[in-house]
Amino acid sequence: MKKFNLLIVLMLSAVTMLQAQVPKGDVLIKNGTVLTVTNGTLENTDILVRDGKIDRIGKNLRTPNGVEEIDATGLFVMPGIIDAHSHIAGSAINEGTSQVTSEVSMEDVVDPFDISIYRALAGGVTSIHLMHGSANVIGGQNETLKLRYGFTNPDDLRFEGAPRTIKFALGENPTRGGRRRGIQPQSRMGVEAMLRNSFNEALEYQKKWEAYRADNSRRKVAPEYSLRMETLVDILEGEVLVHCHSYRADEIYMLMKVFQDFGIEKLTFQHANEAYKVAPELAAFGAGASVFSDWWAYKLEVYYSTAYNAAILTNNGVTTSINSDSGELIRHLFHEAAKTQKYGDLTDDEALALITLNPAKQLGIDNRVGSIEEGKDADIAIFDSHPLDIYAIPLMTFVDGVKYFDKATDEKDQRLYIDPESSIEVVQIFDRETQHRCMEGADLVDFFELFNN
Amino acid sequence: MKLHLRKSIFRLLALLPLLCISLGLSAQSDPSGESPATRTYAITNATIVQAAGDTLMNATIVFKNGLIRSLGTDVSIPGDAEVIDGTDMFVYPGFIDGMSYTGAVRPDSPERPDDLFTPDPPNDYAGITPEEQVTSQLSLEENSIEDLREIGFTVSHTVPYGRMLPGSGALLLLNHAEHPDEMLIQDNVSMYTQFVGAPGAYPGNTLGIMAKFRDLYRNATYSRQHAEMYASNPAGMERPTRDRVMEAFYPVVSNEKPIFYNASSSLEARRAIRLKNDLGFTLVLGNLEEGWGMIDELKSSDIKVFMSLELPDEPENADEDEEVTEEVRELEERRMEFYTKHVSQFGEMEKAGIKFGFSSIDANSRDIHDNLRTMIANGLSETAALNALTRDAAELLGISEITGSLSEGMIANAVVANGPIFDEDTQIRMVFADGDKFDYEIRERRSGGNGNGDATATSGIEGTWRYTIESPQGEQGGTMVIEKDGDDYTGTLTSDDGAPDQEMENLTFVNNSLSFDFSFDGGGQTITIVVVGTVTGTEYDAEASISAFNVSFPLTAYKEDPQ
Repeated sequence: MKKFNLLIVLMLSAVTMLQAQVPKGDVLIKNGTVLTVTNGTLENTDILVRDGKIDRIGKNLRTPNGVEEIDATGLFVMPGIIDAHSHIAGSAINEGTSQVTSEVSMEDVVDPFDISIYRALAGGVTSIHLMHGSANVIGGQNETLKLRYGFTNPDDLRFEGAPRTIKFALGENPTRGGRRRGIQPQSRMGVEAMLRNSFNEALEYQKKWEAYRADNSRRKVAPEYSLRMETLVDILEGEVLVHCHSYRADEIYMLMKVFQDFGIEKLTFQHANEAYKVAPELAAFGAGASVFSDWWAYKLEVYYSTAYNAAILTNNGVTTSINSDSGELIRHLFHEAAKTQKYGDLTDDEALALITLNPAKQLGIDNRVGSIEEGKDADIAIFDSHPLDIYAIPLMTFVDGVKYFDKATDEKDQRLYIDPESSIEVVQIFDRETQHRCMEGADLVDFFELFNN
Repeated sequence: MKLHLRKSIFRLLALLPLLCISLGLSAQSDPSGESPATRTYAITNATIVQAAGDTLMNATIVFKNGLIRSLGTDVSIPGDAEVIDGTDMFVYPGFIDGMSYTGAVRPDSPERPDDLFTPDPPNDYAGITPEEQVTSQLSLEENSIEDLREIGFTVSHTVPYGRMLPGSGALLLLNHAEHPDEMLIQDNVSMYTQFVGAPGAYPGNTLGIMAKFRDLYRNATYSRQHAEMYASNPAGMERPTRDRVMEAFYPVVSNEKPIFYNASSSLEARRAIRLKNDLGFTLVLGNLEEGWGMIDELKSSDIKVFMSLELPDEPENADEDEEVTEEVRELEERRMEFYTKHVSQFGEMEKAGIKFGFSSIDANSRDIHDNLRTMIANGLSETAALNALTRDAAELLGISEITGSLSEGMIANAVVANGPIFDEDTQIRMVFADGDKFDYEIRERRSGGNGNGDATATSGIEGTWRYTIESPQGEQGGTMVIEKDGDDYTGTLTSDDGAPDQEMENLTFVNNSLSFDFSFDGGGQTITIVVVGTVTGTEYDAEASISAFNVSFPLTAYKEDPQ
């Protein structure tokens, strides 16, 4: 039996080693216009990538032996785009049967076969925040991914070392499910009550387990274990960053008050169409906002919106990002960022930060990605013109210094799996990945119920 | 106290195979007269494949009392033996199905309670019933038993129907049993689980299922510790609450019982592996269809695998001369690439040295031999294919000491065929399961038949059919006239030899399956013949059996043109 256990340990370490074998590239990107985001624009500059990291940034760097050279003369090099709100690459989005599901995790349902990953790479995106849906007040844990398209083991897409995050949701989506199922919450008041009740329950749970752990008796009996409560305790202890689906200013303010009461600090509001109304409060709390550039009026709670949202938040000192929430929008997030120059006059660096450094901060990965700096991961996108130019076309996308997209050698059919029994006719550009999946798996309401709030 | 009891139960379970064999012997009292006169058989002068690559020519094998008594070229034949001339016959070990529903009856789905609280439904609605046993779902009437047996399977690891955690599986002999208990080699051998959520309740999909599994497992770990402590010294200790779900997990948590995960796609398989790596249980992947991308991982792990016997249909590409765009040709090529991955993965696993068995759980029994031939045509050696059906499956299931190969003292599980088992023209003549003999007559192959038959849709069965029965007394023909009466069918059988017409009783036609029975007076005894078969276009391919004599013979018919 002992021998057997030892064998298992060996196997497990072998598996861990296998998982760590995602490739890291070496490349010299020569003579490009480098948009560093943190250090301005560097003309005619080289970037040397060694073993997946940015090794050196400078002029006329020597090409080490065996390192591929890419001539970026006349091209624009920027940090890989990071989408702080995405539902691509997931086999399931909502465990919509319960209103508190902090125990579930998107890391269990990563789908590396999703063609949307490749499409996102073709838009310069290198990382996404694969989020649970918004059907539950406390939804599932999210997963931060690197878009290493071509690997079929979900573990190979993991952004190794990224902090844990979780999805919360306020407003119409979670109350809709409650009303449909005849369970809590059915109103915005109910949402707040459910949040407070859940955290209070978690505190009780924490006390029980602390007492158990402190007990020196050899005959101590463990309290009931709950993965749901474990996660809530981890949130209270600051180990899990909260990303909350929200629209209205009143509920955004409500959540900040709840979090203040429970001492939770790490908070980013997702969508947050009315965040501009409480921008100073968000800045004071230290909360982030991840918004759409100009998308609203698809339900009652998103009518009071403005395209100046991102700019107002940025000018108030709120860490702000622009996200896609969509398998289509994700392909041109650089357009979405550029809109903040028309609506709010943001600088190039400010606008680019909305889709690079700021989402990296919101995901807790800004020490690794989000800008072009020596020592950071070589997650890089190359464009034929300035990415904030409406005519810009992404040419190449690198993750860890490995090229995963190259417009010049783009294959027609990039699918990683094809059902042998499928018919040829169904192959088409449009698929479900371009649909919004925030409420997938939750009961949907009809038009009248939507406006009968 | 409880723990001691549990331990002794495990010891008992280990002895169960032996107990069952002796049960099989003693259960021969037979008021119905259906049992054969002898259970001693000798197949002489046959090619006996003891195991893949281990063949005896012109040899004899003797089955007695459900066991292989002797085999070899110099074997004495017991006086009570029915001697079967095995000239030109091939005898193989009986096949073993690593994971199937064979013999189990699908229970009605649990009804949705009126006051269902979707976040926390009752366990039976959530599909969390690991305390259940497949033995409570078994029925001797299940067609699946004969369907699998007639293609050579003699042992099935049968798992229960259900949702996320339906219950425990059992190892069954596909023998001639009068009660399901007589089929049991051992029950309670595995915990079966799958990615099937509860409709509209928790856990509803893979997200909830993964979390719920972790939650149950970890709670069971604590619950077991508590139960053990209490069992050794209850004084002053809070009494553990009994929970049948938790208790069902105890042997899994202690690695005494494996988890069989129904994981057909590579993503499902990887999710099951994720749970195993997180929690540390003994994992068996069952029904795996997409294993080609994970061969290295499987090889470097202790995970056992039963590959699905279901294969995708070969894609039908446009003809050479058909006018299609270049793009369509390219897409067809890519689709074919993945068909090839499916059918050649078995050979690749063999090359990598992965020992695997097969699972029929998603396969149609009629396709299984064709699918095996497809795997062989795409790189799997016949040796490995046979091993996967027999010895390797037995080893993976921990029953190689009693079955999986032909040698003295093993259970008399064998397949007798009229040629090498994987040859297209070979047909199975007999199957011995637990020493019980099942005869299969050679059927004439329809010309050009590839198993798919006539593709024309069956419009209706009303009309006049010409039938032929190949009985031991020779061929006999006649007509059957079927009429539709409302939603029901009635029919009359007319025999060419002038015998009185027979009414076709219990005539049913569902999903192209046509069955009826008829009776005649066999010298003071009413003899009933049951006919079951499939209608394909205007052809009917059936088997007529007389259960009283335990014989059956083929009946074929074709529908006459109304003009």
